[in-house]
Amino acid sequence: MTDLTEKSPALQDVAAKLFRARSHSIEVEARPRTEVLEKPLTFNPPAPKRYYFYLMAPAIAVLAFISLYPFFWLIFLSLQDVDIGGGEWVGFDNYIRLFSDSRFINGWTLLLKYSVICLTLQLSIGVLLAVVVNNSRYERFLVTALLMPMMMAPAVAGLLWLFLYNGTFGWYHWLMQSVGILDSASILARADTALLAVIIVDVWQWTPLITLIALAGLKRVPRDQLEANMVDGASPMRNFFSITLPNLYPVLLIAVLLRFMDNFRFIDSLLVLTGGGPGSATKILPVYLFEVAFKFFKLGRGAAIALTLLLVTIILGKILVRVFENPKAGRS
Amino acid sequence: MASVNIRNVWKYYGDMPAVKNLNITCPDGSFVSILGPSGCGKSSTMRMIAGLEHISAGDIHFDDLRINDLAPKDRDVAMVFENYALYPHKSVYENIANPLRLRGATDATIRERVNGAAKLLEIAHLLERRPHELSGGQKQRVAIGRAIVREPKLFLFDEPIAHLDAKLRAHMRGEIKHLQRTLGTTMIYVTHDQLEALSMADYIAVMHDGELQQWGTPSEIFNNPVNAWVAGFVGEPAMNFLTCDIVAAGSDVSLRHANFDLPLLSSQITQLNGSSKGGAARMGVRPDALSISMEKPEDRAIRGQIFVNELLGGDMLVDVSLDDCRIRVKTTPDFAGKPGETCYVTVNRSKWHVFDAKDGHAYF
Amino acid sequence: MASRDVVTYETPLTKLIRVLSVVFLALYLVWTLLPFFIMFISSFKDLLAAFKLPAVGDWSDIGVFFDFTPTLKHYRSLFEDNAFGTYTMNSLIAAGGSAVISVIFGSLAAYSLSRVNFRGKSDLFFWIISTRMAPVVAVMVPLYSIFRSLDLVGTLPGLILAYTTFNLPFAIWILKGFFDNVPYAIEEAQMVDGATRFQAFRSILPLVAPGIGAFIVLCILFAWNDFLFAAIIGSGGAKTLPVATRELVQPQNIQWGAIMAAGVITTLPMMALGLVIRKYLVTGLTMGAVKE
Repeated sequence: MTDLTEKSPALQDVAAKLFRARSHSIEVEARPRTEVLEKPLTFNPPAPKRYYFYLMAPAIAVLAFISLYPFFWLIFLSLQDVDIGGGEWVGFDNYIRLFSDSRFINGWTLLLKYSVICLTLQLSIGVLLAVVVNNSRYERFLVTALLMPMMMAPAVAGLLWLFLYNGTFGWYHWLMQSVGILDSASILARADTALLAVIIVDVWQWTPLITLIALAGLKRVPRDQLEANMVDGASPMRNFFSITLPNLYPVLLIAVLLRFMDNFRFIDSLLVLTGGGPGSATKILPVYLFEVAFKFFKLGRGAAIALTLLLVTIILGKILVRVFENPKAGRS
Repeated sequence: MASVNIRNVWKYYGDMPAVKNLNITCPDGSFVSILGPSGCGKSSTMRMIAGLEHISAGDIHFDDLRINDLAPKDRDVAMVFENYALYPHKSVYENIANPLRLRGATDATIRERVNGAAKLLEIAHLLERRPHELSGGQKQRVAIGRAIVREPKLFLFDEPIAHLDAKLRAHMRGEIKHLQRTLGTTMIYVTHDQLEALSMADYIAVMHDGELQQWGTPSEIFNNPVNAWVAGFVGEPAMNFLTCDIVAAGSDVSLRHANFDLPLLSSQITQLNGSSKGGAARMGVRPDALSISMEKPEDRAIRGQIFVNELLGGDMLVDVSLDDCRIRVKTTPDFAGKPGETCYVTVNRSKWHVFDAKDGHAYF
Repeated sequence: MASRDVVTYETPLTKLIRVLSVVFLALYLVWTLLPFFIMFISSFKDLLAAFKLPAVGDWSDIGVFFDFTPTLKHYRSLFEDNAFGTYTMNSLIAAGGSAVISVIFGSLAAYSLSRVNFRGKSDLFFWIISTRMAPVVAVMVPLYSIFRSLDLVGTLPGLILAYTTFNLPFAIWILKGFFDNVPYAIEEAQMVDGATRFQAFRSILPLVAPGIGAFIVLCILFAWNDFLFAAIIGSGGAKTLPVATRELVQPQNIQWGAIMAAGVITTLPMMALGLVIRKYLVTGLTMGAVKE
């Protein structure tokens, strides 16, 4: 490294003069000879943008009907005690009762626990896998293989794993028994392992998504940064942690938020696998909501629960959109 | 062919005016260049003429036809875009044929016109290619081909050669100018490169901050800039500016600076308005209106020190340090001064300019 | 021209890492693909063969998995005794219908959102995308009430409309990204050349066509794989493949062979489609946030 200030006075003089030389390009406040009015005397009529609104109208109308209208309907429902027979106005009763509903609180806790464990596993395995795949000669083939679980309907995946976990003839059950992790009871039948079982299915199906996202992120790690760091003396390992990983944060943040919201959105495989049981061991909030609304037909209460779920989703969505628009924001 | 009249035109983006009260008249068949730095409103002006932007206030006429409310397709203009805007999925032939197809020409006409345009632009061998197989210069020719294939009233060129390399740019300048002369169609050419404007246009409109600074022929713009901004923007190497005092002594008036005290010519004194005598002013002089020598040639020569020499092939630029500033002098390559040596600079006073110190407008 | 990969140098450590990563890859591939394999094989086993399992801890007897005579009877019974032909058609119509509607309306809206600015645009955009992110169960309650009052429950049009709730916002969001990538100057050039506003719009469609095609496929994928909407809105007259597969699970008599066969029928077409649009899959699954 050379520092100009350590050099001879002559050089310093040149540097000083160079800086002065810049001011030599002129910036004179210039006004044309004719006086410019501050504002036009009259404006032309504005340009019509109607064309665009016509194009947007059908989509907005459909969305309003299937999203906005149901949303207000939901609020309206949540203020009533509705079941098959009819409704009765109860005000905020549904909400007040939620606070003392242990299954509601249990639902939220389980949902968070489920999401956090799923994401931790998916992230660690997924990123590791991405790094390995990225260095592999068979990347195309590997990615193709990884895609497969995501193409499967979650409900079908649930059924498939129900078969694999089956306590009498499931091959995975046999495997777990043989290595001594399980006794004869199925992993799904025990309250302490059922949650783990559904997590495994989620990890099986969606880790590849994290891998693909991380892979796309890896491709875009700026080469020059890696090379500059190497020339500065970093080992490949250090390179990974100081350059590659920080560059992955924005995409991984998006991946995490997406998966988090999907855990709220999709309960297909969980419904098929355990239906929330045994007991309430896997009754995460959306499953509980499903039960309240479509098993007991307590539509009012269901609506109140749904609104709490919606609220959290909207907050998460706001964060996600902000990250979309400014990926760098996710790094701080 | 048509003349273009821009009358009191304003362009607002939200509350921000991008073009302020613009008045330009482009004579029929002329080559007009709109010159200015980025953000000066020149592109907005062109887009308003093309119909791609709404005209916030004022009118634009082609001859006597007010075109404010006409759709672009009804204005009968042809435009070449900065990034060429070729249709990536169509062949060169189809790209050039597009305006004719949209206007319902017969296949035979199209073939004839496209081949004619391709021949004129020397791209006949490229007609079957796709835009992504072309070089920058070729793409640009295709874009021009698309513009000239029919006979529009008006050509609009929006920095068409800004993305080409220097050599090709110089070549295309000549070609575009020749093309316009051959076709005789009115042309409006937007550029930020003063050299393009000076070398090609019949008239130049210099814009800055949304305002028209000066309208005139290239030599008027170059030799008689209306203000310090135009003087500084036009010309390469740029004009030297020195802050001086105007000192009146009897009937003589002179410019006084720490390093010199030079009298104005008598014709120039009359051009100063009375109040400015005795105030501060900015003197502007182009490097080629200065001469440099190592021996003192006459009493009025300015004493300075050579700061650095730049040899530019046929010319040499010498930066000379005065007490508090630096000026640039253009001389011949055989100039022998070395940096650090004392030298003398003579000003050709018939070619200098004096600008008002506050608003920058030129006295002469 | 620089080489594509960052240069690496061989050390004992990197060798070890390379070996470990191959092992990891192999294990992961088995873990990912084994369930498919078991599903596929089991769909050709008859009831008794499917129940055959080695004794606990008896690793040597693992070959019993392959000890069966392949039979197509599960597939046959799905289509003959059960109405899987109809269910496949239902799935196709519901998924395809919603995909086409979503992409048509979506591309019009996406185009305008990409090309015009107006106050409140970002709010509108957020509303659109939050519609897509809303939990299915949460919107199911009111949607069911509304659909019931319109007699849409248990009909294919109802199901198409239900799928549109998530496919349309998705299409708008993704397609806007596509249109954003097409320079507006191309349309402007068209207009100056003599095209009307609508002709100019049409002229850039070929440029986004590959993307639009891929997203029709993605919309089909999402709708095809849906279970909740199909189970509730479609219950009765519009049974789709995932629901029909699920219904094979009876309390007393679970027909595992048939379920595995139904799983194969449901999954195979989507795998094929997934491969066709591989290039767009990551973009699609991350809602455009990550481009491959």
